[in-house]
Amino acid sequence: MSTQLTIEELAALMKKGAGVTVDPQDMASRPDSRFDEWGLDSLGLLGIVGELENRHGVPLPADADRCKTPREFLDLVNNALKTGV
Amino acid sequence: MNSRQSPPHRNTAVTGIGVVAPNGASTDVFWKSTVGGISVLDRVTREGCEQLPLRVAGEVRAFDPQELVEERYLVQTDRFTHFAMAAADLAMDDARLGRADYEDSPFRVGVVTAAGSGGGEFGQRELQQLWGRGSRFVGPYQSIAWFYAASTGQISIRAGLKGPCGVVASDEAGGLDAFAHAAGAIRRGTDAVLVGAAEAPLAPYSIVCQLGYEDLSTCDDPERAYRPFTADACGFVPAEGGAMLVVEEEASALARGAKVRAIVAGHAATFTGPSRWEESRQGLAQAISGALREADCAPEEIDVVFADALGVPAADRAEALALADALGEHGRRVPVTAPKTGIGRAYCGAPVLDTVAAVLTLEHGLIPPTPNVFDVCHDLDVVSGQARPVDASTALVLSRGLMGSNAALVLRRATPSSS
Repeated sequence: MSTQLTIEELAALMKKGAGVTVDPQDMASRPDSRFDEWGLDSLGLLGIVGELENRHGVPLPADADRCKTPREFLDLVNNALKTGV
Repeated sequence: MNSRQSPPHRNTAVTGIGVVAPNGASTDVFWKSTVGGISVLDRVTREGCEQLPLRVAGEVRAFDPQELVEERYLVQTDRFTHFAMAAADLAMDDARLGRADYEDSPFRVGVVTAAGSGGGEFGQRELQQLWGRGSRFVGPYQSIAWFYAASTGQISIRAGLKGPCGVVASDEAGGLDAFAHAAGAIRRGTDAVLVGAAEAPLAPYSIVCQLGYEDLSTCDDPERAYRPFTADACGFVPAEGGAMLVVEEEASALARGAKVRAIVAGHAATFTGPSRWEESRQGLAQAISGALREADCAPEEIDVVFADALGVPAADRAEALALADALGEHGRRVPVTAPKTGIGRAYCGAPVLDTVAAVLTLEHGLIPPTPNVFDVCHDLDVVSGQARPVDASTALVLSRGLMGSNAALVLRRATPSSS
């Protein structure tokens, strides 16, 4: 499994965990739009954090589920996965 | 409802009905099946339930949640909320109450539901994750999907309703108490309330919880499993589904051109303790008297009774005696019906479906019969066999819960000037 989270994978996690369908290309073109504009609430993001932690076997930073936008979240998650924190 | 303060008097009017029941996922189909006396009780077929000792139930089969509920709610909420959301949509369509009507004043519309058990199926799935794989595999939506308040919350969020919201957790009779709660909100100034209940107790964990009820019928013959008021009564058959209604302040409903279908005229509730059926006689009689008093209604004015009809001999006897206690001689003459013998008891959803049937009885002048019930062994005029024509203007709906709640609701036909 790739150690980097892509925007396509994030879109797939939003659909699986919260039933929210977003077009990855659309999200890639507006990565600073807030999660609530994409229809994802805080519980949905919390579920994605849990799923990623289970997949990679590492805890993510405590503020991961407080990210407001896809760009913020991807940066934080990928930085954490890269450094293995 | 009755109000102690001086005018303006604010009546609570039913203007919209949405049904998701074992015998129909629309008001029309529900009514046709109900008035036709058709029983849809059948063997339990829901996944994982086939081997359990509960053999017969009222399943909602003609319901495709994927067609009626957005994907995010399918993932984030339980089946009982899917039912409630779909019923709420139907009720708002029926009332012709759309977003445009309240967009500028969302605080004038509220939501009240009653719930008996919450989201058991969703909860079971997550509990299996907990014990099967560990706490890290429990999804966060468990925190909001399983509990009693989920349907009220999700309906209000989905429709953008910001008025008084509430959840009544007072046993099956809570389905009637919800109307009193809604009427109270209307009396205090709210224009409209979505009110009702829907339940989804036919999942393995939920059924196992019910197996402890000594009043549950485990008879395996759908025609014999639920026969209240007869010598063969052997308990009740559970069901899923329910209904949501739009109730509105009568004058404002009329002002926006809505059709008033009935008036919620009176309600009262009492408590007499779990499975103490003999004592429920007095509790139910008190509830009936209280509801009549609030409705300013004489016993003789009641044209039809929708009975609780538990199907437990002691409870049936108590209900028959309560009607005699509260209505006097009229209690032995008034037509009594229990269409729920054809669909089962959907816990809090049951008295709401009875309320719907009562409104439709007032509109159509037909009392639906009590399927599978013949040879009544109590001093009651139970409508059985086929529907009975009646010029009814006032209906009484009764409900009791297994935990000891008793409630009565009086409905009046809309007056010609209001429809």
